[in-house]
Amino acid sequence: MTRIEVSRSGGFAGLTRTWSVDVSSTEAEERWLPLLDQADPGGSEETQRDRYVYHIAVGYREVTVAESAVQGPWKELVERVKNASTGQREDKPEEGS
Amino acid sequence: MTAPTSAHIRCSIVPPYLLARLASLQAPEHQHAAAAAQRALVQLEPIHSARADAPRDPSRGAGTAVVLALRRTISDAGGSESLPGEPVRREGDPPTGDVAVDEAYAGLGATYELFQEVYGRSSIDNAGLPLNATVHYGREYDNAFWDGSRMVFGDGDGEIFGRFTASLAVIGHELAHGFTQYSSNLRYQGQSGALNESLSDVFGVLVEQRERGQSADAASWLVGEGLFTEQVEGRALRSLKAPGTAYDDDVLGKDPQPATMADYVDTTSDNGGVHINSGIPNHAFYIAAMRLGGNAWERAGQIWYDAATGGRVPVDCDFALFASVTVDAAEARFGAGSPEAESVGYAWREVGVL
Repeated sequence: MTRIEVSRSGGFAGLTRTWSVDVSSTEAEERWLPLLDQADPGGSEETQRDRYVYHIAVGYREVTVAESAVQGPWKELVERVKNASTGQREDKPEEGS
Repeated sequence: MTAPTSAHIRCSIVPPYLLARLASLQAPEHQHAAAAAQRALVQLEPIHSARADAPRDPSRGAGTAVVLALRRTISDAGGSESLPGEPVRREGDPPTGDVAVDEAYAGLGATYELFQEVYGRSSIDNAGLPLNATVHYGREYDNAFWDGSRMVFGDGDGEIFGRFTASLAVIGHELAHGFTQYSSNLRYQGQSGALNESLSDVFGVLVEQRERGQSADAASWLVGEGLFTEQVEGRALRSLKAPGTAYDDDVLGKDPQPATMADYVDTTSDNGGVHINSGIPNHAFYIAAMRLGGNAWERAGQIWYDAATGGRVPVDCDFALFASVTVDAAEARFGAGSPEAESVGYAWREVGVL
């Protein structure tokens, strides 16, 4: 099993929310790790303000993705984790570390 | 306030940027020139297209100029995440009956009026930029943001957040991001990012206070009143009066904002805590405004506006430099040793920045 954790910070409210799901190692290795190994997901936030920032961890691999870049397979990944976490909300305030 | 949109009179004698500067003069001895320049400007044709390609410091070619009039367009994304959506209310149109559309329209107007009538600024770029907003963005979208050229508002999820246009301070906050983009353009990371956020909170609450006719001691100093549903234990998202006390809820946790440097939060989240550490400069503004008394948008607001637009705030400005720029701005406008300059210095010392 491999744990995938999606942590969304920022936004106007500055609230951090975290979702996580355990997936099979096969799913992690075949579907999601190659995505994280890609180059910078891009999505310029140069002039965008109050948008979310996503920290996505698959096992020990971790990337930061701007909200505007959460498209296509990245959106699939985020939705996959959010939907799996429904009912076990892990809302928490910004802890600062 | 409505400009003759069909006018194509061009002025090639006085450069438009100079007209704009003249029009913004506030001293009594310049009233006549300012009024004349404003009349000249409203007769000139605006340029729209170049703006999208030049998000800040727009340059204008000879013979083009700006309109010193409010021009709003509110669009409806209809629950999609595509921008801008369908235009549903343009300048001068009657209310639509859609509360988010009409709140956005009124909020843009109130924000425009603060900058225009109090600080003499022609729209957020000081060059008459039309103001655009999109409402009903996304599904159960718990956010409002500035995308570099327009404000975007979600409807909220209905459980924690309602619609984001419900708070005038939030609308002012988003539009003030545009103001910062066109003035100091503070980098959205760490302390400069927290200053960027703080300027939006400061001008956001000032828009609301002025609209309500509230002096500093009568105001709530809250950002985002009315956003939370009744199920949340909290009055707002942030408090300039008492950072860290805006909400304390089982699900959301407690407002994490510090009020002073002693509680500064080091974090990699949220672009380095831009929505967290903004509590410190926010509180400094509150202290300065309360010490001065009266209407916060007049003296304290003017000093912050002068600091933000005076060309001395670099994109990577930290709290200490911004503080000294505000003290200098207070001295420049009100004199060294003036109550205004003293109050601003006192405020920054109280929050541990100076």
